[in-house]
Amino acid sequence: MRRLPAGVRTWLALVPAGVVVLIWLAAMFTAVRSSLGVSRLRGWSQASTDAYGALLDDPLFWEALWFTLRITVVSTVIAAVLAVALAAALRRRGPVLRALAAVPVPVPHLVAAVLGVLWLGPGGLADRLLGGMPLDLVRDPAGWGVILVYVYKEAPFLMLVVLAAWGPAVAAREEAAATLGLGPLRRLGLVVWPAIRPALLTGSAVVAAFAIGAFEVPLVIGPTAPETLSEYALQAGRGATLDGRALSYAALVVMSALTVVVGALAALGLRRRDA
Amino acid sequence: MLAVALAAVVPVLTLLVRALADEWRSPAVVPQRFGTRGVRDAFADAGGAAEAIANSLTVAALATALAVAIAWPAARAIGERRLRRPGVVWVALGLPALVPPFATGAGLSEWAIRLGLADSLAGLVIAHLVPVLPYVVLILASGFGAEVRSIEEAGAVHGAGPLRRLVGVTLPAIAPTLAVAALMGFLVSWSQYGLSLAVGGGIPMLPLVLVPFVGSDPQVAAVLSLVFLAPAILAVAVALALAGRRAGPAAVV
Repeated sequence: MRRLPAGVRTWLALVPAGVVVLIWLAAMFTAVRSSLGVSRLRGWSQASTDAYGALLDDPLFWEALWFTLRITVVSTVIAAVLAVALAAALRRRGPVLRALAAVPVPVPHLVAAVLGVLWLGPGGLADRLLGGMPLDLVRDPAGWGVILVYVYKEAPFLMLVVLAAWGPAVAAREEAAATLGLGPLRRLGLVVWPAIRPALLTGSAVVAAFAIGAFEVPLVIGPTAPETLSEYALQAGRGATLDGRALSYAALVVMSALTVVVGALAALGLRRRDA
Repeated sequence: MLAVALAAVVPVLTLLVRALADEWRSPAVVPQRFGTRGVRDAFADAGGAAEAIANSLTVAALATALAVAIAWPAARAIGERRLRRPGVVWVALGLPALVPPFATGAGLSEWAIRLGLADSLAGLVIAHLVPVLPYVVLILASGFGAEVRSIEEAGAVHGAGPLRRLVGVTLPAIAPTLAVAALMGFLVSWSQYGLSLAVGGGIPMLPLVLVPFVGSDPQVAAVLSLVFLAPAILAVAVALALAGRRAGPAAVV
């Protein structure tokens, strides 16, 4: 058998994965098309941005957008700070303790939300143990229950990401900095931070994108109002009218665009470092 | 240290107690009566939980197997640094993982209807490939590289054919990475909520069947949550075993 040139073989190796990426692109194309009101009943000639106009005019959409962004930013920032603290505390410990600390990572978000309800709901375990809860976290309109579940899930995940970057090479540089007389805070800022920053940035982008799009957690432990963007999109599509369908897809397109922006911001942050 | 261990064990314990508490009136911290009412009700015919578990298992297993096969050549090319522009490939693979699966699923549902795959397990498997594949490629790529390449070449020098090289050399060399990639792929598919909701139509999947019980019957919700948690427990067991082996008997903690 004659061997193909190396360049061609490399491209062929990417074809199967490329097909899956094409399936995703086809899905995104259909979502955009449907958001423009195009369907089998209404052709491209009737495409319009009416649904986006309706979104902008709908106060419920703006509420959902702010609520989603708030939950995402607050949970991601808390998880990232906690992750660095956890990593600092555990990096000199053995791998077994690290594995235990990482237990929430493979736990499905939905199970974490069910646990949240069991512990924090009215008549829940915390309520019984403390003899009354100081604040209501389940179905809380400020979304603290949702935020708590995300932090429980994502802080250990980001800790793993940070630990992977905070290896022996960084520890050696830290020691060098210590012998030069740098205090712990300046070592963290000048030696550790540049080493863990790219990993933390990438991991945080993944976490934030998940929080923007997921809805099993808000569904189980979040308030009925305000809704998250995905709950809003689900509700809008329930009516089974063509306009409702376009509105639902428009909300989904906005949501997808937000995650792409998050990814792009992370990529920009990484690039600025390289330059 | 104790706090970390507690935080790891308490969730499972909570679910276990809640699942077996036939009677647990407030404000008691310990249930009044233990029993298997929750298990019986969870698997009663009307709930469809057994079917949902079977569906979730089938879809996750098939999506993972397909993803590993699809990811393999790409992961090799990336791991062996044969790509001139790896950044382009990472963006192409990263975006499907970043964009909400619910949005992907909503777009795919229209295609599924057109292609006759709506409300079918095949449609769900194809849809699950989209979020599963990026993670499998990412992990698998870390296992390939110059080392695997050179022992394969050693195998070739000693006269092993392509199949014997794959089974006798490549697979054993990459087995730990492959196991982690497959486990991760399985977990990503197993945990999908919005994607299955959008594409599956009326097909019962475990997370979809679980949610209504959280409000209506917390005991049944706890039983199903334990089933939903099982693959994660397996993942933790694997991680602990690997951690123990790496550290040796001394200094594990």
